Amino acid sequence: MSSQKNISPPAWADRFFNWYCKNELGESIQGDLHERYELYRNSHSRIRSNLLYWMDVIRFINRFTLRKKSTRRTFIPTIMLKNYTLVALRNIKRNVAFTTINVVGLAISMAVCLLIIATIDDQTSYDEFHSKGDQIYRVTHRRLNDVNLPIATTPLPLAEKLKNEYTGLEHIVQFRRGFSGEILDNGKAINISGLYTNPELFDLFDFELESGNVGTALKEPNSVVLRNDIATKFFKDKDPMGEDLIIEGLGSFKITGVLKEIPGKTHINFEAFASFSTVASLEKQGKLSESLSDWDKLSGGWVYFNFKEGRHLSDLQATLNRISDENYNEESEYDVVFSIQKMTNITPGPLMGNQIGQSMPNFFIYGLVILAVLIMTCAAFNYANLTTARALTRFKEVGVRKVMGSTKGQVVMQFVIEAVLVSLFSLVIAIGLLRLLIPAFEGLNMSSLLEWKLNPGTKVYVQFLIFSLLTGLFTGFFPSLYMSSVKPINALKGMDGPKMSKIGLRKSLIVTQLVISIVLIISATLVHRQIKYMINKDYGFNRSNIVNVDLQGQDFDLIKPELEKLSFVERVSGANNIPSIGRHDDIELRKNVTDEEVKYNYFSVDENYIDNLSLNLIAGTNFTPKQTEEREVIINEEAVDALGYESPEKAIGGNVILGDSTNVNIVGVVKNYNFMILYMDIKPLLLRYNPEEFEWAQVKVSGANRIDELKQMESTWAGFDPNHDFEYNYFDEQIEEFYSMFYDIVYIVGLISILSIVIAGMGLLGIATYSIQTRLKEVGIRKILGADGKNLILILGKSFFIMIIISTLIGGLISFFGNKAWLELFAYRVSFGFDIVGIAFLFIIVIGGLTIGTQTWKAMRTNPADILRNE
Amino acid sequence: MRFNLGEFEEIVLLVVAAQNEEAYGLSVTTSIEEELKRPVTMSSVHTALYRLEEKGLVKSEIGGTTKSRGGRRKRIFMITSAGKEALLDAKNARNHLWSMIPKVVFENR
Repeated sequence: MSSQKNISPPAWADRFFNWYCKNELGESIQGDLHERYELYRNSHSRIRSNLLYWMDVIRFINRFTLRKKSTRRTFIPTIMLKNYTLVALRNIKRNVAFTTINVVGLAISMAVCLLIIATIDDQTSYDEFHSKGDQIYRVTHRRLNDVNLPIATTPLPLAEKLKNEYTGLEHIVQFRRGFSGEILDNGKAINISGLYTNPELFDLFDFELESGNVGTALKEPNSVVLRNDIATKFFKDKDPMGEDLIIEGLGSFKITGVLKEIPGKTHINFEAFASFSTVASLEKQGKLSESLSDWDKLSGGWVYFNFKEGRHLSDLQATLNRISDENYNEESEYDVVFSIQKMTNITPGPLMGNQIGQSMPNFFIYGLVILAVLIMTCAAFNYANLTTARALTRFKEVGVRKVMGSTKGQVVMQFVIEAVLVSLFSLVIAIGLLRLLIPAFEGLNMSSLLEWKLNPGTKVYVQFLIFSLLTGLFTGFFPSLYMSSVKPINALKGMDGPKMSKIGLRKSLIVTQLVISIVLIISATLVHRQIKYMINKDYGFNRSNIVNVDLQGQDFDLIKPELEKLSFVERVSGANNIPSIGRHDDIELRKNVTDEEVKYNYFSVDENYIDNLSLNLIAGTNFTPKQTEEREVIINEEAVDALGYESPEKAIGGNVILGDSTNVNIVGVVKNYNFMILYMDIKPLLLRYNPEEFEWAQVKVSGANRIDELKQMESTWAGFDPNHDFEYNYFDEQIEEFYSMFYDIVYIVGLISILSIVIAGMGLLGIATYSIQTRLKEVGIRKILGADGKNLILILGKSFFIMIIISTLIGGLISFFGNKAWLELFAYRVSFGFDIVGIAFLFIIVIGGLTIGTQTWKAMRTNPADILRNE
Repeated sequence: MRFNLGEFEEIVLLVVAAQNEEAYGLSVTTSIEEELKRPVTMSSVHTALYRLEEKGLVKSEIGGTTKSRGGRRKRIFMITSAGKEALLDAKNARNHLWSMIPKVVFENR
């Protein structure tokens, strides 16, 4: 027995018991529990006894043990509300400077969060106007033997098959792309792009007709329904009903309806709907590629549907699985599985290929939410820091309140209410700031791409309000806990507040903020450098003074001599694609008929191309001009290796087969140049002599007088093709424009890093004020004993300097590994230089020096007599 | 019946009376387990005691401590006069019912 006396019951169980049972019964119950444990130990093993003890403890959870200890009458907290508000307002008024820092700090970060809320709201507002919205689904597919990205399209025969084999669907609507072309309108060609679809469209979706009949509008072949703004564009005030639209390449369509204005945003991108019954005849005439019955045309169209009452996803999925088993297997070109996607999950939704319109990937939304949380956390930390720093002057107030009978809870309440008030003030300013921010953001390329329309409505404002209330609660929570732990006796004796180890906590908060700022500064600098690097990189070809003219279907051979007649035009070459902006074609290639085919990237060019782009021909010759048949090909160095030649010279004269049976000789080898987007490596490339594919004329001009040159080229074009506007781009600008998306990212990251620096600077200011205020007496004594300014700055600033160094180290490491991850996606990348860390460090040092310096200076300037007199 | 006494509560109350100013949670529990050979959990005994206290049938007092309890004091339960009345009441009621059973019932067992 005595040996077992020392063995006590499991401490965790005791702790648990003490946690849930806080009333006067606790002691005697725990005594009984312990006594009983000893009885267990007499007859059971230790483990078993412990288990039994735990069970006893758990069984004791009941209404008697959970009862609150105090029988103090409950106090209505609302009685004091008026007083809290009054005191809060007085305090705000008395400390204008402090309040300003607090409010401005909160307001800036809040504005960004509001922007994020508005964005999320905007991006989740797609397709809200459909009454069946949340019952609409679509079929998507995934190729098991190819890229594993889900794709929104399905082959066209699927809709018919579903109709026949599954009876549980109410409406099936399918869309087919390919309703696009030019319409001649008063001599000018205007593009129209839309979708083919079936009449059930109007049953499933809530697109309404302004004129026309929903039952018949899309029934007959060659009928078309226009979006109302498109109708106005073509017909102004005239009634478009019954008019014919002649679309180049597709034929004549009769207008059978005009849509009412769409009451919201939809993820379906269209200007017009044409009747699906048109598709069959267009495919037969060869105007559209055959896809009506081709299960391998996986990008054929989109299928939307809703269920009949009482039918569910799972049995449809079974049918879909059966259909995919019937048509695909591991041996077929594609091994396809179908799945079902809810329409409300499309945008924002998972990243998918072949979307029917724009769609924001949901990870973007998650990223934004994380960002908002991060920003708000920083701001809340700051508020906590500043408030506790200021709290020095308010301990007496809390002391008096407590003496008068305030409970801890009431003090907490008071400070939370103050925080909520500050946060509401900030909201007002933040909304003002938001109004300024919105136009700046809507100017970004990205936002026009995503149809970013930020005009917050009432719903959004209510969200703002809730958000700011929550922010107030959150930010007020920590300081209020601190303030409420004041012991009245100490506070009234004029002693300091609760001696905090919390200074350590606050230091780590500041370090966290500084780390975030440093990571953001470094990342923004890196992103900026990377983009600049990509734009200014030597692409290996000339792109200045080249005007890329869109041929718009015109014959290159006819326009070339016209352009060459102009005095300033040096040379004109033709091409099917513009290099370095992400577009190129592939063709299969093999050396011998028996070899396996390998896909190669190629550009179709002519004999002027190499000169025009100043490509470096390192072996062989240029194309023979005016070939009628494709017999020659020029390859790059990579292709020399890929084809297995030992040197460029050895490759000359080699014979390869392009596609099915085009035999061509290698006549030349060019030095590698970047024909792909710059984040990819240079791949094997073929330059083919194939004028039939030309879509661009690349005109090398002198560049002496750009405006005049453009005018002359335009008038040449107008004499040549009056129906189309002259479409051109300067090559270098085109490349720059292509990368401008990335500039948006720099813009956003830059903005956020400035923001975080501001917040961190305020945090520093707060903690500097606090710690220097508490050390005023020390400063006074040191001054009397003869310390000079230099010494004092060293003493007071040391801990901050250490904090900044620690944050730089941590921030540098985090940004090194974080940025490495994305930089490695780029084949051509800037290196992570330690000069960037240096810049960030300097930046923080300057900001920190300014905030801490001013405080230190203020402390130094005070007369020691004033400080020490109070003792 | 004037006192709404459950079967388990009655047992607990009887044990409290039997232990006469020595009864506390664990002693009542072990006593029920040993005398009646009936497994009970300590928490249900405690609950019953508190409920009896609420009904005014027992009263409790903080008592002395023993070493084995880690210095924690016992809560000693004592039966009140109302409790005694309730027990007597229950006993009389049973006796009355017993007397109504004809002898034959038990003879033919």
